[in-house]
Amino acid sequence: MTLEEQLLVILRRTASAEAMDWLAQECATQRGNFVQRSFYYAFSGVSRRFDKRGGLQLQVEDEPQLTALVEGLSLQGWDQFRLGRVILLLVLAEQDELIFMETLEKLLGTADLREQAAIYSALPLFPRGEQLVELAQDGLRTNIVDVFDAVALGNAFPAKFFADDAWNQMVLKALFISRPLYQIFGMDERANVHLVEALVDLAHERWAAGRWVSPELWRSCQKFVNELALADLTRLLESKQPGQREVVALLLADEGSNEGVGALREQVADLIERVKAGDLTWDQVGRDFGKDSFSVFDDKQSEPA
Amino acid sequence: MKFFDSHVHMVSRTTDDYQRMAAAGTVALIEPSFWQGQPRTEVGSFKDYFNTLIGFERFRASQFGIKHYCTIGLNPKEANNEKLADGVMELLPLYICKEGVVGIGEIGFDDQTKLEEKYLRIQARMAVEADLPIQIHTPHRDKKKGTQRTMDVLEDTGCDPRRVIIDHNNEESVKEVLDRGYWAAFTIYPHTKLGNERLVEILREYGGERIIVDSAADWGISDALAVPKTAAVLKENGTTMETIERVTYGNPLEAYGQSGQVSESDWEDAAGVDPSALFAGNTLFRGGQDVEEAMAQYKVIK
Repeated sequence: MTLEEQLLVILRRTASAEAMDWLAQECATQRGNFVQRSFYYAFSGVSRRFDKRGGLQLQVEDEPQLTALVEGLSLQGWDQFRLGRVILLLVLAEQDELIFMETLEKLLGTADLREQAAIYSALPLFPRGEQLVELAQDGLRTNIVDVFDAVALGNAFPAKFFADDAWNQMVLKALFISRPLYQIFGMDERANVHLVEALVDLAHERWAAGRWVSPELWRSCQKFVNELALADLTRLLESKQPGQREVVALLLADEGSNEGVGALREQVADLIERVKAGDLTWDQVGRDFGKDSFSVFDDKQSEPA
Repeated sequence: MKFFDSHVHMVSRTTDDYQRMAAAGTVALIEPSFWQGQPRTEVGSFKDYFNTLIGFERFRASQFGIKHYCTIGLNPKEANNEKLADGVMELLPLYICKEGVVGIGEIGFDDQTKLEEKYLRIQARMAVEADLPIQIHTPHRDKKKGTQRTMDVLEDTGCDPRRVIIDHNNEESVKEVLDRGYWAAFTIYPHTKLGNERLVEILREYGGERIIVDSAADWGISDALAVPKTAAVLKENGTTMETIERVTYGNPLEAYGQSGQVSESDWEDAAGVDPSALFAGNTLFRGGQDVEEAMAQYKVIK
């Protein structure tokens, strides 16, 4: 099955037959003869055909099938409007470069919030991704959680195209606005030493203020565990906040070169066993101990001004 | 009692108005695109204005528990700048099919020039093409003829009168508007349009069918509570509750409901007001003041 067919299968589970017929017709018409104006009507007009409160019914086999076609693609949190629009955007992606860019910029410049989310979600499906980096970074400058999430979560675009500084800003901002880091594609692969420095500074800042530190903050430090200060690891372990013991176990599961961590390892020996057995992972820490990680789309926290 | 104000320019109103509207029972409103007291000189100003109508203003209303819809269009005053108008015509297709856009409007005549007619025709055709209702602004000067001419143009363009709401009617214009099958809206606006006591007689004569009351409150001396206040005046003067409910709620809902973009369930099933929600980092409740507290203060002041 092609990506489009796969997406249509998923949308068909909850959308009306009438809406699906309309979408198929629009895609066929635009493929035959692409006309910007009718494309605008179709893209925004998804709101006239699909259920505005209609969600999707995702099944277990969807994710492996989707990620086999597009790396890292997840439809978690999408609704009928978003998926319908992304399917239309696949047609736009087939147009020649100039038409594609011009239409995309026009759509984005006049998009409402749900349309913006659809466009950013479609980024990894577009050709010539390197030309869309600026646009993706702009999307992350929003303080609207759903728009930020569309770029940052379940989307392989940043991991594939962002330079380190942009990647690091994204991860830091995700922490500031309490987004679930385990849903960011490429978290472990894109970890870098500058990010680790910024994360440790952030942890110090939060500790000094007596504030909550997300256990997920430490995930990017895993590869650089030997650079972490013993004092910080000790502080983590002493913290009463949930998930911190698990963090120490994950960081120290492999015997590294850190001096003096033996005592710390002993204190979390039970958890290290679980890590080694594959029974405790960073994803799990994110799911279990992230802030409101189950009500992702209701959490409208913002960065402080 | 619930009210639906189908014509009000909220970008010009303060949060005090939103608070009072919510307290008075206004559950939904429509913000037509209009001019802003002075002519715009760039097409980009329209784009940002339309973005405000579908974005920040909608969000602002939601913080008071009010559902915000809009109509998108080029008003007749600015239709007289041809270059600008052509730019806006290119912009409109990007907006008119969006969620919560319940029609093309407010369009029509002001000075009744040729250019005004040109853009009225183009936009009327666009409404037919996108299957959308039309919200008509009728001219203040030479109203009766201007209204007739508007209807002639609309019918010539293939518009169905049942999908057109003609606004700013008065005693002189209403009969023909209703006879030709259109919805007739009355703007209750001090000094220049219609006082609400005059409406008692109009309803006595024509009944409540296809008649709508709105405030058209904007940046001029106007009243965002015109609809609930009119309901009170009508009641004191013996209009039946059924008719009052119809002209201040049921009729605008039915007329604009033809867009498929507004239905009672939008506010009946809506979650409560979320004062901590943010739009692009802005909250309207600075200093921790929440909606209920704001409402209570208002009641005390009153």
